[in-house]
Amino acid sequence: MRRTPRAVALSLCLLAAVSCEGAQADVGDVVHSSVALARVQRLAQRRADSATTTDHSAPLAQWLLPHALQEISGLALTSDGRLLTHDDEVGQVWEIDYRSGAVVKRFGLGAGDIHGDFEGMAVANDAIYMLTSRGKLYEFAEAANGARADYDVYDTGLARACEFEGVAFDRAANSLLFACKLVLNAASRDSLVIYRWRLDSDSATRISRLAIGVAGVLAANGWKALHPSDITVDPLTGNYVLLASAESAIMSVTPAGEVVFARALPARHHQPEGIAITKDSILIISDEAGKRPAIITLYRWP
Amino acid sequence: MEYFKRLINFITLGSSRPIRRLAAYYGLIAVAGVVLFHFFPTLDGLLTGARLEQLAKAPALLQDGLTSASGTSPIADLGSRLEFSLSTVFVFLSTLALMLPVTWVYMSARKGQGYNQSIVQALIVLPMIVAGIVLIVRNSLALAFSLGGVVAAVRFRTNLSDARDIVFIFLAISVGFAAGVQVIMVALLLSVIFNFVLVLIWRYDFGRGVLEPTAASQWAEPLDDLAGKDQGGNTVPDRDLVLALTPTKVDALAARFARVQAIMGRNGKKPRYDAVLTVTSGKVGDAQKHIERALDGVTKRWKFDEVVTNSGKPSELYYLVRTRKSVSRDGILTAIRAGRNGDIVNADLEIGDALAREAGEARKERKQQEQPA
Repeated sequence: MRRTPRAVALSLCLLAAVSCEGAQADVGDVVHSSVALARVQRLAQRRADSATTTDHSAPLAQWLLPHALQEISGLALTSDGRLLTHDDEVGQVWEIDYRSGAVVKRFGLGAGDIHGDFEGMAVANDAIYMLTSRGKLYEFAEAANGARADYDVYDTGLARACEFEGVAFDRAANSLLFACKLVLNAASRDSLVIYRWRLDSDSATRISRLAIGVAGVLAANGWKALHPSDITVDPLTGNYVLLASAESAIMSVTPAGEVVFARALPARHHQPEGIAITKDSILIISDEAGKRPAIITLYRWP
Repeated sequence: MEYFKRLINFITLGSSRPIRRLAAYYGLIAVAGVVLFHFFPTLDGLLTGARLEQLAKAPALLQDGLTSASGTSPIADLGSRLEFSLSTVFVFLSTLALMLPVTWVYMSARKGQGYNQSIVQALIVLPMIVAGIVLIVRNSLALAFSLGGVVAAVRFRTNLSDARDIVFIFLAISVGFAAGVQVIMVALLLSVIFNFVLVLIWRYDFGRGVLEPTAASQWAEPLDDLAGKDQGGNTVPDRDLVLALTPTKVDALAARFARVQAIMGRNGKKPRYDAVLTVTSGKVGDAQKHIERALDGVTKRWKFDEVVTNSGKPSELYYLVRTRKSVSRDGILTAIRAGRNGDIVNADLEIGDALAREAGEARKERKQQEQPA
């Protein structure tokens, strides 16, 4: 009889403690979120400071990427402004909070990690597209952290025309834009070639070609050629913005093919592979690892 | 430690049963664990190894390439450093908490034969070292090979006298490994199951041949027969003794009973001694002087009975003791052990209750006789 009250009291203590579990915030999360918050505030401060200067070559922020992203390639922004990126060789998608440099999630394609020469990524409506250098297009929906996404593969049939290096979504034309890094067609080798791939058309009429004469640009900048490594659409103007890794250049053209500007990137980029522009005017460039680790750099845009 | 002991006494209602005391200890550990996880939920992953997987994954927060020239941001590392320190401390403390009951069981199970204090201390420290090594090596093959090289250069060999000692050492290594790879749940279950199984094995003397009678059963029956009461005095008929004994054996038995009678005193008086103190020591001379000084202070009277020397092992000293009501058994043992850790390997005091039992039986008989009247 004497033992019962103590046993009951102990059991109640245990139950009370267990029921309170989860009420406290994770210490690690708290520290992480406080660091992330400080980074976001610092980015905002730098953006405000950069508004008063005309020199936009100073980066707002720069994040060193983990080993698994040393072969980072394309960048893409979702409709709600989240940054997605991927590895060059493995079908894995990463979400990175570009304001705080936090890895939000990662997910893979298919049952196992598929391997390919993935060169670019775009988000169109609710679908994500990844393009290989041989013009194969992988379409899949966004998945949760650690999950695996089913995908469909389309062959654009452009493998003989181009070696591709970037893809973007042009909302105005409801088309995917394929940036041609190396033009295989001899007749267009002096031009910058972009293919448009309409999402709402049948296979016979969906592909169109935009060839932009860049002889003047090459001459003005002393470049021998332009090899785009990624393409994006400026959300403010709708112009196409191209990144050229070999020339370390950035170039803007209108959808009609007129060159708006072409200039060299700041010297800090060793191998720029991906470009994205946010709605709040931040230019994001990803660099693959070389002598330096892979990085993501943020600039004020334009 | 004394407070902790009192807490366990409180929960077990002062029970001296090992299983109850172990259950109470693990209950306290569970409560402490729940409270700790409540305030530091980040430690929760240590139970299942999820934390280790998390560490192997990509960092949640990327390094800032602008604020640090070396590419490492001290601010970004603050969270992981704090978390890492917290989890490492927890790993070491958990090995300590889980190995303490193992040492208690070890000391209790080896009380008769005498245990080696260095093994007890090794059982506490070894898992911490193993956990530390595993934490350092983690998934690095290079570190593992380096560690192999370093360990190969250090020779530590010791002969363990009992196979069960080796089992305890293996358990300590296992608990250290489990804690090191941050699967504390496995370490906890190892400790709990091992202790309870060992106590049960000890309790039921598992491993003895079922056809072989126990020491107790060998002695209990003839002693009961000799001491038991019947109309004639004892239940062993004299003619059976005549058949079983030779004159030499009768002389030897008579001499022993005479010695015991001299020790115990005459009938109708209180026995001169009511307890036997057994001390195991490697230095008999020094230990004897110390024990006798201590016994003067804590007992009514004592008598040095005999010393049994063992070759290669500590000797055993036996004292007959008349205890004082004011000094408990633990008090006497504490006085014996005080300041002589090096000399005294083990000390035990067995207090006889035959007189109390005899008095109880006499009362019972009186009651039975009074009832018909």
